Amino acid sequence: MELLEKISEELQNGNFIDVPKLTQEALVQGISPAVILSDALVAGMDVVGEKFRRDELFMPEVLIAAKAMQAAMAVLRPKLIETGAETAGTIVIGTIQGDLHDIGKNLVGMLFEGAGYQVIDLGVDVAPGRFVEAVRTHKPDIAGLSALLTTTMPRMREVIESLVEAGLRGSVKVMVGGAPVTEKFARDIGADGYSPDAASAVEKARTLKP
Amino acid sequence: MKAIPGGQYRPLTDEGIRRIHESSLTLLSEIGVEVHSRLAFEVFRQRGATCDPAKKLVKISRAMVEDAVAKAPKRVVLCGREEKHDLYCEGKNVHMGTGGTVLNVIDLETGAKRPTTLKDVRDIARLCDALENVHFMVLPVYPNDLPPEDVDLNRFHSSILNCSKHLMGGIYTLQGTLDIIRMAERIAGSPKALRERPFVSFITCVVSPLKMDDLYGDILYHVAKAGMPVAIPAEPLTGATAPVTIAGLLTGLHAETLSGVVLTQLVNPGTPVLYACTATSTDLRTMGYVSGSVEMGLINAGAAAMAQYLNLPNYTTAGMSDAKVVDAQNGYEKAVTDVLVALSGSNFIHDAAGLVEFASTASYKQYVIDNEIIGMAMRAVRGIEVTDETIALDAYRRVGPGGNFLADPHTILWMRREHYLPKLSDRQLRINWEKAGSPTVEEKAVAAAKRILKDHKPLGLSRELNDSLRAQFPGIRP
Repeated sequence: MELLEKISEELQNGNFIDVPKLTQEALVQGISPAVILSDALVAGMDVVGEKFRRDELFMPEVLIAAKAMQAAMAVLRPKLIETGAETAGTIVIGTIQGDLHDIGKNLVGMLFEGAGYQVIDLGVDVAPGRFVEAVRTHKPDIAGLSALLTTTMPRMREVIESLVEAGLRGSVKVMVGGAPVTEKFARDIGADGYSPDAASAVEKARTLKP
Repeated sequence: MKAIPGGQYRPLTDEGIRRIHESSLTLLSEIGVEVHSRLAFEVFRQRGATCDPAKKLVKISRAMVEDAVAKAPKRVVLCGREEKHDLYCEGKNVHMGTGGTVLNVIDLETGAKRPTTLKDVRDIARLCDALENVHFMVLPVYPNDLPPEDVDLNRFHSSILNCSKHLMGGIYTLQGTLDIIRMAERIAGSPKALRERPFVSFITCVVSPLKMDDLYGDILYHVAKAGMPVAIPAEPLTGATAPVTIAGLLTGLHAETLSGVVLTQLVNPGTPVLYACTATSTDLRTMGYVSGSVEMGLINAGAAAMAQYLNLPNYTTAGMSDAKVVDAQNGYEKAVTDVLVALSGSNFIHDAAGLVEFASTASYKQYVIDNEIIGMAMRAVRGIEVTDETIALDAYRRVGPGGNFLADPHTILWMRREHYLPKLSDRQLRINWEKAGSPTVEEKAVAAAKRILKDHKPLGLSRELNDSLRAQFPGIRP
């Protein structure tokens, strides 16, 4: 279908002005929200991901495509919920208490939005209690914890312990990341997932379905 | 190609340049040059140089040098067979490429050193045609499988078939040189078309100290007469064929290459000629020739400065290494000398790709690695562009305090242009690098060279033209 192809193409170009408009147009034409999501938006992001892996697209271009995806999802999400279609999921993200670095966390957030997730960003310097509260309120599939400092990294363990104490650990998968974090550290503190960079975080999250 | 000017690095002061130049004129007029070529000697004698036939000595006056420098072109355009490969050798424009001629190669499959053949001439030409940072090809290897009389024509013919960049080469016989010119005229369409767009050129040499050889004097005479572009390098070595000091070496080099420039302009005023330097240092602990010393970089940057003083297009040397393998020495010797000479604004920097082991051995994987080093050096030559657009106040306005520039349109517009993107350097996180099998630069270079040799299709020649060339020159190998 021509319109869906156009949406996919403009999404790949990172045209965040036109993609939501075109998405609206598709809805007006009576195309089902689930089809728009899968055949236009997700299909477009898949091409972006593939080109990124081949070094044809750089991270900033993936980010503007994600931004276009996010803008389209703002139009589409209410319709998807109305029709009861399945969405990619919800993720709560935040930089750990004592740490103010957020560029990596923001990058991860944008990429999850690009993959169709609803992203709840708690910001920086997030205390364990706030993560627990957010998990209770938003019932996310994933909680994503970020740290850039070796000194704040141990706080990640505290978040996981707090989730256990609150009886919420079983309801959410915990992913950790940030420059000093390693796969071994992630295992040691009982996290479910780790990815070494923003680009592979979404892929990792997809393998963590409850 | 769009020429990129360098010249940010100045190894000599104006006063230093002037003193070296004046001293070279003293060498040429007081000591003179020993000229063994009778053709060349006759030209000097007839045109009024002070000559001593018994000693074969030619003393060249200041006036003769100044006259030749005035007649020599200030710009030499070395063309490719495709315009995108044209090299504007003038001012401080920088181009970098291969060099030779060597007798051995590190085999791509076995990694062992072996004698080079005509197949290596072809394969290396095809490789260099594909490597985007190699701006020209100085024919790098000698086909050991051919009789000497067939070497010149076949080296050029095989290279033309496989590489459409400018081809410059050393030559071994006068007949071979004349055949190459006739073949190139056929390919260009006519003698005039070849002079208008010379896609081949030649290297002769002056022997240090202060000696013009019999054969190379003759060849230089004929190339100048034919009006083809020619580089006339001298290769003085510190402490051996030149004084041990760099200023002393440059004084001799300047005199030697200028004696060649003078000859070309006496034979045929306006001959496109490159002031040329292949000088380097020796390690006097052993008296061994070395190619990767930092002094080598200084010498060649100095030579470029001397040529620029006279406004003569120039040919220099950089990017060689004494290392036998791909290791840290290989990388730092090439990088340091490349950067020094490139930043000096030399027009035609040869030997910068593909050579190892005192520039005595070619190596397929090394071409791919050196392509990367040249790319980085040329990015340094390009320098820092300052405009309203590159200062990017508007981007600051959009992003504001505490934000980031990752997805800003300015980033996307400029990221590819502003930054050199290496193809071989590893920039992955350790975990991803390990997952990929912990590849080394050397392994990636081998793979890239194999891929290019398998897939790259050069411009080549039409079948009719090639068949007709073979009929005219039966010595051309299939």
